Amino acid sequence: MSSTSQKHKEFVAEPMGEKPVNALAGIGEVLGRRLEEKGFDKAYVVLGQFLVLKKDEELFRDWLKDSCGANVKQQGDCYGCLREWCDSFL
Amino acid sequence: MPVFVEDPAQFSKPRLKSELIAHNVTLPAVESKKQVYVELYLKHIVQKSAADFSSDEEDDDVVEVQDSQDFEEEKDPKMLDPSVLTDDELKTTLLKYGVEAGPIVATTRSIYERKLQRLLKPAQPWQNGGTGDADQYSDSEGDEESVSQGSPETVSLMEENLHVDMRFESRIPLSSSGPEIKRGNNRSSNQGPCPRPYWQEAATVDKYTMTNRSLFITPKTSLFKRQIKEPVTDVLMEMFPETEPTPTGIAATRRRPIKGAAGRPVQFKYPDLPASPMTLQRWAVEHRLVPLWVQILVFFIVACLLYLIYAAMEDSLANPFVTLLDNLSMETETEGLSLQAEP
Repeated sequence: MSSTSQKHKEFVAEPMGEKPVNALAGIGEVLGRRLEEKGFDKAYVVLGQFLVLKKDEELFRDWLKDSCGANVKQQGDCYGCLREWCDSFL
Repeated sequence: MPVFVEDPAQFSKPRLKSELIAHNVTLPAVESKKQVYVELYLKHIVQKSAADFSSDEEDDDVVEVQDSQDFEEEKDPKMLDPSVLTDDELKTTLLKYGVEAGPIVATTRSIYERKLQRLLKPAQPWQNGGTGDADQYSDSEGDEESVSQGSPETVSLMEENLHVDMRFESRIPLSSSGPEIKRGNNRSSNQGPCPRPYWQEAATVDKYTMTNRSLFITPKTSLFKRQIKEPVTDVLMEMFPETEPTPTGIAATRRRPIKGAAGRPVQFKYPDLPASPMTLQRWAVEHRLVPLWVQILVFFIVACLLYLIYAAMEDSLANPFVTLLDNLSMETETEGLSLQAEP
């Protein structure tokens, strides 16, 4: 997909380990900080939320918007990033 | 999977009670079995709906429709406020709308509640949006009726959509839905005049009703999923604006098959990958921060420097060897001298 960012590629390339939540595509500093405030301080916690929502796109987007105020593009980036990661490693 | 028949037997006893109360039906004795409540419910509530209908037909479908309509109306207060529902109730309610909810946990609960709310207030905006299709399946019943009939059908179709697939993943072309809707409509019209006025009522009276998960539209006809995007902005198109609309009008994002990393090595996908940990390790072995030749060169330069420094020190350079030689030579000389001295 040519529309994926460098961040996306980097994230999807390897197991996320202890990467911070900023490492997710679509999640920058501001959003990352908001997520951390809510307790989602690592990427794997967001992954957990993603999985609990059964990898449903709409629900995950809703949740993202709700918890950190991500816009549509950011939601999409994050969702795509996590989904691909799951496709490869889960 | 949409549930048309709202089987009162499935209700909980308190719910039946509350609905009986709502219909001003005297409750049976407190210790009555649920079945008693169910019967009362069926009897009174059905009768009440029949009165509304002003029809003398009592076939099952009508009864069921009435039941479902009433049930939905009665349930609305509770459905309106998903936060009142327990986790399980929320989950079952979502399931009724065809939403396979995952675990309802602290973090997911608000999301599911919001989703339910969205499912609950579908009618109005979509009805307005769906009038275009009303013409397709209006049945020479007059404009008013057809529009409101069309729109409840539209809405119910929408709801069928939501029932079956919340993810706007597969949709069926409008053209194929057209004749089927007509078919459904014909069926409904066969039922007689009763349901229609009721729909009108329902549509106008209570905008919170999920108008009809109408029995007149069977699961078969509802299988075609109309485009959800019509009333609401198409999120999919929003997400992927560059995709061309397919003939079916669907821009489905195909989910990639779940394979292990071995099946689809990431390198092929992203050729310009940064290093994975393994490659990083390999590189660490192979590569140095400074290239090898540079290191060797530096080594020799430093060696030369040291040698020069060493040489610069006057006595130290030759010291070990020269002094040895000197000693030896001195010894021989002394020996020689001593030899000479002794004749």
